[in-house]
Amino acid sequence: MSMSRPDYRGVGNKIARTLLVALLFCSALLSAMAQESAEPSQALRFEGYPNAPEVSVLPRKDDLFFYPCDQCHESMEPNPAVRPLNAMHDSALEHGRGRIWCLSCHDLENRNFLTTLLHELVDFDEAYLVCGGCHANRHRDWSFGAHGKRVANWQGERTVYNCTHCHDPHKPAITARAPKPAPPVRAGLKLKRGTNHEASPSWESHQNQEDPHEELEEQ
Amino acid sequence: MSDDTRSGDDGGNFDKARRKFLRGLGIGTAVTAAQPAWGGQTFQDAFADFFQTDYRRMSTDEIEAALKRIESKALSRYGVEIDCQNTPPQPGVVYGYAINISRCQGYRDCVHACVKENNLGRDSQMQYIRVLEMDQGDFNLEHSDHYYDPETVPVEGKYYLPVQCMQCDDPPCVKACPVQATWMEPDGIVVVDYDWCIGCRYCMAACPYWARHFNWTIPEIPAQEMNTNTHYLGNRPRPRGVVEKCHFCIHRTRKGLQPACMEACPTGARIFGNLLDPDSEMRYVLANKQVFRLKEDLGTDPKFWYYND
Repeated sequence: MSMSRPDYRGVGNKIARTLLVALLFCSALLSAMAQESAEPSQALRFEGYPNAPEVSVLPRKDDLFFYPCDQCHESMEPNPAVRPLNAMHDSALEHGRGRIWCLSCHDLENRNFLTTLLHELVDFDEAYLVCGGCHANRHRDWSFGAHGKRVANWQGERTVYNCTHCHDPHKPAITARAPKPAPPVRAGLKLKRGTNHEASPSWESHQNQEDPHEELEEQ
Repeated sequence: MSDDTRSGDDGGNFDKARRKFLRGLGIGTAVTAAQPAWGGQTFQDAFADFFQTDYRRMSTDEIEAALKRIESKALSRYGVEIDCQNTPPQPGVVYGYAINISRCQGYRDCVHACVKENNLGRDSQMQYIRVLEMDQGDFNLEHSDHYYDPETVPVEGKYYLPVQCMQCDDPPCVKACPVQATWMEPDGIVVVDYDWCIGCRYCMAACPYWARHFNWTIPEIPAQEMNTNTHYLGNRPRPRGVVEKCHFCIHRTRKGLQPACMEACPTGARIFGNLLDPDSEMRYVLANKQVFRLKEDLGTDPKFWYYND
């Protein structure tokens, strides 16, 4: 039966191929048109996350000891060379493990401002725009309220801490701190520690186990 | 006195017994007089307290009168003028809580802010929040330690899991109460009418989260540390011998303020908001984070989530 019927498979393939080529051509044409019509400079600018709730961010400049930076830097020659720092600022930058340095965040010419990856000037009170350049996931969570500290109320206008309130941008690791006092042990009960807690991890019993294959090989 | 006993007749013995009785009566009267009458209340207040009914059956006037009595009782007990309110639930609001356990550092700031906010006794053992220190690579709550006290936290190889009332949507504690002194409010907070509670502690046995606590003592609070902003169903001064629990700071949250534990948390690990508002922080967390709840398989439907990121 199959022999007597004409074979349409090849014809079908040909039609599909022509259609595909036509589609590809059309889409390429469309995207080229789109690129021409939109201004790239505007499309590239970050303007916050759509639908993110409006929050007011606590100002940061009042807490900065050396701000305004121009006080000193006005009389200093800008030096873009990457070099070990000393004098006024902590010489160690414990952030980015050598992948960034001062001018990744600070602007060379306008000392009172920070700079983004696209070299836009950013006020110190809006430091989150600089941080968000690399830590985009955190910035998104912070904008929607899943990261960062919100102040005062859960309802109505929200106030949020800036990134730099909690994280020292030059040394962002959170340092350990003493905990508040432990709860008292119930009267008449004795605190038993190290019974269940501090139990050895489940993989420990495997660590010193002899390899059964070794025995087999010896035999 | 010795002369009477030496006489040996019946009349002398009777006389001795009579004197002893009279002396006892005198001491008894003196002791009673030393205590304030009616537990420091007026007779009318004590009378009204005795016949006060369940919160949910009280009329508005009766609740107002009860609030006045609570305030006057606090004045006589602590010497502080408190403001006891009865803020109603907000329509269209159901509260939810989330904790980012990768942010929690185990500082216990939340625990002590809660003690202060809710007028818990400073020397009593009661705390609404427990921060569990857990071993890395282990999620067995039985292996946790809430008495941890190292010099600094976080300790290497540990992580921290704060637990408090989960405000279950199907609360087993409410089902266990034989006198219906505990129930879920329309905004999802499980509350206790401390004046209606009989202190049987069935709810404590029913709660799978260790969230309910029995107050064995009248809380001792320095007058200047007393929180005067109180709520009937929340942090007002409680009688001794009733069960208490976290109430999402009902006196704060119903006015739009954050719960005290969230306000105190320095790391921002605590998220609170309205579950019915699709734009709330809570809904963002639920939609964008891989959340989990403790002992979810028990079917209590807690409104308290945890997540990592």
